[in-house]
Amino acid sequence: MSRLGFYIKIYLKILKQDLKSKMSYRADFVISNIGMILTNLVGFLSFIILFENFEEINGWTKYEMLFLYGFSLLALTPVQCFFDNNWNLRFAVESGDFIKYCFRPINIFFYYISEVFDVKGLGQLVFGGGTLVYAWYKVGIPVTFRNISLTCVSLFAASLFMIAVMNAAAATCFWITRSGMVMVLAFKFKDYSKYPISIFRGVFRVLFTFIIPIAYIAYYPSIVVLRPDNIPVLSWISLPLGLVFFYLSYRFWMRGARKYSGTGS
Amino acid sequence: MEALRKRFALTRAGMIESLGFRLGTFVTVLGNIIYIILVYFLWKSIYASSPNDVVGGMTFSDTMIYLVLASALFSFMEMYIVWDMSRSIQSGKIILDLLKPLPYRKYMFWSYSGNFVISFFLTFLPTFLIVFVISKGAIPIGLNLLYFVISVVLAVLINYNIDMFVATICLHTESTWGINIMKESIVMLFSGATIPLAFFPEKIAKVVAYLPFRAVYDIPLRLLLCKDGDIMKLLLIQLFWVIVLAAAGAVFWKISVRRITVNGG
Repeated sequence: MSRLGFYIKIYLKILKQDLKSKMSYRADFVISNIGMILTNLVGFLSFIILFENFEEINGWTKYEMLFLYGFSLLALTPVQCFFDNNWNLRFAVESGDFIKYCFRPINIFFYYISEVFDVKGLGQLVFGGGTLVYAWYKVGIPVTFRNISLTCVSLFAASLFMIAVMNAAAATCFWITRSGMVMVLAFKFKDYSKYPISIFRGVFRVLFTFIIPIAYIAYYPSIVVLRPDNIPVLSWISLPLGLVFFYLSYRFWMRGARKYSGTGS
Repeated sequence: MEALRKRFALTRAGMIESLGFRLGTFVTVLGNIIYIILVYFLWKSIYASSPNDVVGGMTFSDTMIYLVLASALFSFMEMYIVWDMSRSIQSGKIILDLLKPLPYRKYMFWSYSGNFVISFFLTFLPTFLIVFVISKGAIPIGLNLLYFVISVVLAVLINYNIDMFVATICLHTESTWGINIMKESIVMLFSGATIPLAFFPEKIAKVVAYLPFRAVYDIPLRLLLCKDGDIMKLLLIQLFWVIVLAAAGAVFWKISVRRITVNGG
């Protein structure tokens, strides 16, 4: 337990330093957050336009879809806020700066990831929260302690999947150069998470559930609250499966980091 | 002649450079395939839930052809000018580019032109041929192909000018990510790349008609699919935007370039 306390203390210290340096770019903070809210607003607007033409999609109404959308935005906030440094990994590895993380007496993954806290994720948090509350109200889900706590646990489980995907995508840079494209590809998956997985048939449903787990970013975890009468078994294993995915991505990342031998500069 | 030779030298260099990144091309193609799978299932279930086969003048296969070709056009025209420029400002490389015997904006365009040529043949043309074969004659063959090619050239110029304009904004704000994401989401929605413009409600459609973004994807695809009778009008709209955006971009660049500050270098 004291070890956990030690890591929390270090995390807060690094976070404070990072926020201090970010404070000197206040314009960037404002513009990034406006950009974040705008891009989410465009996603919101696409749903509105779609449902101007169509009543429902595969049995899903407008507000149920907005619920999925809001849920996915919230589930994607942790990967945006806490794991954003993965985007810089390939530059650190290529330039040789990564070696500095190897010489600290703490976990490499922890130290590397904790170095950046991305403030623009906060815009997404606010927008996603607003969308979820709005859709919650429109769908008419009862506001009970059970539903709220289930949502929180589901959100935690859901957030693990995208973190795992991005960890794995970033770690490819230990083996291949130009892994930026892999990151861009993986990051696009998040845009697909806002649709119900039930639209896919056959092999593709398996693909998007177990191989590229986008069904777990919103659909399976949120259905527990959204459609409580008919919960698939796959929903209940969200949390353990999320932990497994996260652990695997962590092992993959660490394997790459151990293999790293610097660039000799 | 001499001037053209200089420019084509840049085109050739760009072609050779982009041929070197075969892995990048592979990942892009993979990403497009996953995107097309998603689009297929999504719109299939949208149309399956709808009582009408034709919505907003579009059938399911119309929508599919439109969206698949839009994504092919997108990956063929995609540029990273905003990122490249902000990186070359940070590293100081921009000073060398500014000293080139060709004005900077022209130099950038011709450096990218090789990339356009390669990705046209590697991504757009194969996609087009596959769509043509699968859709069994849904794409008319005739003069429309010629109009389409002219229209695509104009679209490339418009897209380049939008990108360059946005990159110039970044000279003032130092918030590349925020500005870029705003551009990306606005262009994607209002150009018809995510939802065909035919589905937009009248009020929004009226606004979109006066914006330059539809000239990037919607107009070339309209001409290719013979969705609109007034060919000359569409081409003139595009030409109008090329001239306006190029002029506005040139003036804005002239004012802004004095502001470039490179630290050290």
